[in-house]
Amino acid sequence: MMGLLSLLRKLKTTPDREVRILLLGLDNAGKTTILKKMSSEDISHITPTQGFNIKSVQTSGFKLNVWDIGGQRKIRPYWRNYFDNTDVLIYVIDSSDKKRFEETSIELNELLQEDKLNGIPILIYANKQDLFNASPASEIAEGLHLPSIRDRSWQIQACSAISGEGLKEGLDWACKNIKPKK
Amino acid sequence: MSTNKPKSVLPSWMRFQLVEDIFNYAVHSVISLFSYYFTLILKILLRKCTGLCELQRICYKTEKGAQRSLEVEKCIYSSRRKVIRRICEKLDDLAKNGRFNSNNTCEVVRLVEHAVEAICVEKDIKPSIHPEFVTAMRICFLQIYGYKNLQHEIDSLRSIPFDSTNQEHEEKLLLLWKTLNPDYPLKSRVTKQWTEIGFQGEDPKTDFRGMGILGLENLLYFATNFTKTARCILLHSNHPSHGFPFAITGINLTYIAFTLLNNNRLKTHFYNSHFGTTCLEDFHRVYCYLFYTFDKLWIEEKPKDVMEFSYIKEKFVCNLNTELEKHDAILRWNPPVEDI
Repeated sequence: MMGLLSLLRKLKTTPDREVRILLLGLDNAGKTTILKKMSSEDISHITPTQGFNIKSVQTSGFKLNVWDIGGQRKIRPYWRNYFDNTDVLIYVIDSSDKKRFEETSIELNELLQEDKLNGIPILIYANKQDLFNASPASEIAEGLHLPSIRDRSWQIQACSAISGEGLKEGLDWACKNIKPKK
Repeated sequence: MSTNKPKSVLPSWMRFQLVEDIFNYAVHSVISLFSYYFTLILKILLRKCTGLCELQRICYKTEKGAQRSLEVEKCIYSSRRKVIRRICEKLDDLAKNGRFNSNNTCEVVRLVEHAVEAICVEKDIKPSIHPEFVTAMRICFLQIYGYKNLQHEIDSLRSIPFDSTNQEHEEKLLLLWKTLNPDYPLKSRVTKQWTEIGFQGEDPKTDFRGMGILGLENLLYFATNFTKTARCILLHSNHPSHGFPFAITGINLTYIAFTLLNNNRLKTHFYNSHFGTTCLEDFHRVYCYLFYTFDKLWIEEKPKDVMEFSYIKEKFVCNLNTELEKHDAILRWNPPVEDI
């Protein structure tokens, strides 16, 4: 009986589309914390990411396979190994680390010029908004010259990975802007 | 007159599910009730035949170490007797407050003595006739609550974030550099040189993250107590193609050690190697073992680049879990002679 019932239940729902999301940004931007928060895991024991972490997050109609790649300068050259078949790029910025805005802007611009990421929608998380010295998302958008992006859809979302505020809004935007499969 | 039919709200397949769940629940409760009475009768029979209670039978049939202490722990925590429950609660509380500390020997001995006496009275055991039982229970209590105490101590260290305005933290960080790189002084506090010992950027303060000051304490213990080994691993870690970042790996190893302690996997190691309470230094030593064996595994695996870290880390944890599942597990390593 068990087998029959589970079969019936499976027939009821159509399989969700699998989406590949790439999570990039400088070290200490909060990528792993965002990843863990998205999959409702404990975020109090985070360590710096060597290599990468992958998690599947279920949202309405989509199965998001999120790849979180370490952001340390030494491993940034390996980012390109993960570009293939990416549906959405999420770029994370530590809004409170003004000293490194220039560095993060350079890295972002290089990503935007990558052929393999051509035309792929980009979501920018202006993270750590819970900190008192965080810059507002609008200011960061100006600083990164986001309004001059013409070749793809983009969005900047203020968020706090620790409280989870803003994460869902960002993901909703990402899901709406995924290009249909060719 | 219309009556509400709640059943019609549910789709038919869910109604089946409900019936199925109720059936499963009923079967489950009958089985567990039966097994409860079965074990109870078995225990009474064994007690009558051997004249020994379950705790005594455990202590007499096993050698001191993980097997005995784990069984005793399971036995006292599943006991329904009020006295034993109270003892467990009381000792749990004391361990949470850090009282089962090796610096607190007098009080610990007194506490354990009380607990063993209470158990002897409750179970009607004469200490003069069963001195081995008393000794065995003393060791078990020291191990069980020493471990809990250590869990608590480690977690409180972990929850102190690294703070660059705290002079003590800063001094420890600088000492780490000096110990690993005595010939090359730091040019300034914020410098790219930190990446040479495997921090991510110019300032290590953001690298400790969720492991807090525990991550730094672990690294510093390894570097000061096993300096030769640490420097040798640092040398491996700076290999241009087969390298790995030393300090960041260290912080990830702190996480592994912390997780193993918290999910009770380290019990076998500690119960087999320490016949008293455990202290912070014992945890540091486990960490040193992890660093040493991780480096060995990394070299054996010959990764093509650092992106294979995730895979090697997973394999490393898997190996550790298999090792620690054995009843006679002890994490032992042989540091080079100069380091002893």
